[in-house]
Amino acid sequence: MYKAVIIGGSAGSFQVITRILHALPPNYPLPVLLCLHRLKHVRSGFVEALSIKSGIPIIEPNDKEQIKPGKAYLAPANYHMYVELGNKIALSTEEPVNHSRPSIDLSFITAAQVYREKLVGIILSGANRDGAYGLKKIKDLGGLAIVQNPDECQVRTMTEASLKMTPVDFVFNTNEIIKFLQNIKV
Amino acid sequence: MTIRYEIGIVDTRNVIKTLLDDYGFDFRDYALTSLKRRLEYIISLYALRDADGLIAKLKNSKDFLDQFLYDITPETTEMFRDPSFWRILRDEIVPELVKSGSSKPRIWIASFDTGEELYSLSILLKEMNLLNEVNLYCNVLSDHTIQRITSGRLDPKDMEVNEANYQRFNEKGKYSSYYRTEANSIIFDVSLIKDVNFIKQNTLIDEDPGAPKLIIFRNQAIYYNQLLSEKIFAKLANCLVAGGYLAIGVKETLENTNVSNKFTLYNEAERIYKRKTN
Repeated sequence: MYKAVIIGGSAGSFQVITRILHALPPNYPLPVLLCLHRLKHVRSGFVEALSIKSGIPIIEPNDKEQIKPGKAYLAPANYHMYVELGNKIALSTEEPVNHSRPSIDLSFITAAQVYREKLVGIILSGANRDGAYGLKKIKDLGGLAIVQNPDECQVRTMTEASLKMTPVDFVFNTNEIIKFLQNIKV
Repeated sequence: MTIRYEIGIVDTRNVIKTLLDDYGFDFRDYALTSLKRRLEYIISLYALRDADGLIAKLKNSKDFLDQFLYDITPETTEMFRDPSFWRILRDEIVPELVKSGSSKPRIWIASFDTGEELYSLSILLKEMNLLNEVNLYCNVLSDHTIQRITSGRLDPKDMEVNEANYQRFNEKGKYSSYYRTEANSIIFDVSLIKDVNFIKQNTLIDEDPGAPKLIIFRNQAIYYNQLLSEKIFAKLANCLVAGGYLAIGVKETLENTNVSNKFTLYNEAERIYKRKTN
């Protein structure tokens, strides 16, 4: 039923994403795309930090890398990360969107255009509005939209902006997000 | 700018066809997602309503073509992007280029740079007192880009980022000595680039300066599909001198391409390749 999961987060999302990745089994049936706001000029360290507890391998993809199930793809520093037809990663150095590069909106929009109703989009804690429009696009194209419960978020701006823009399918605590992802239908 | 207008794949193909049939500019093997986004950006920028509006404007106005070619090229957006790359260039690559040989080595910025790579390189060379010891070549797609670069008005969006990048490149240097401020805009010192040779290209990079020793082609092939990437990489490999260097973006790779056997990886983190002698 689903072909990919995409997760966006910013300030306050690191611990949440760490818990989610920790809970995924090594043979997870879907690719997990991660677009997390990060320091532009720090190229290394992030993927290593996320990998320590992750159940699945995390890759900071090169341009044109094939997207495969059972792996997480982290948007590299200072690039936008798109999903390209043919199930490939495409990177871009176009100008920042919502002051962000990578921009969650752009990753979500391009993933929605490729996977359409077979995509799950999740917005986590964050301090700006990036991702709200992207989540709307996922919903508009038939995908499933999930937002972390703002009450649980360290910073609620991003989740509240998303909820304002889109009638989402679920508002979940971290535990519920994990349970959903573990039992996802493919 | 925020883009809310979206065009479909059929519309995108129609624009590509107009550019090829009417003007001979071949975008057929550009990466679809980013090309589509650039077209949406241009449609929004000129309030053209939709893809048909863009096609009509391209057909009716030859002057618009140059502006289109300027706008379709994503801005490089940062001076000294990846400061560690520029440090390797300064500390290892450039000294080797100028060490040997009797003629001035040629350095070719083969990406469609909007000036940031060229000014960064020129500042680097100036600080090494080597600006007159190399020949610089720079690819451009539009006259508008040449005007932008030669006027020194790169209109850097984020001065803090550029300044911070420069300080990471040269903590003892003074970035502000390379530009002046005029009515809130930044104008770079154009004497830095006065001897640069611009090469007006088509989209397939059919011209080359002949025997460059260093080609800078960072974050350009990300806008191509696999087929076009390999075609262009082959052209670059063919003109690059044996032992010369090719720099691509830090998240690009020559692995699994048709030219991988022609290069050794010189610096993995900065994706600098060295041309083999065969």
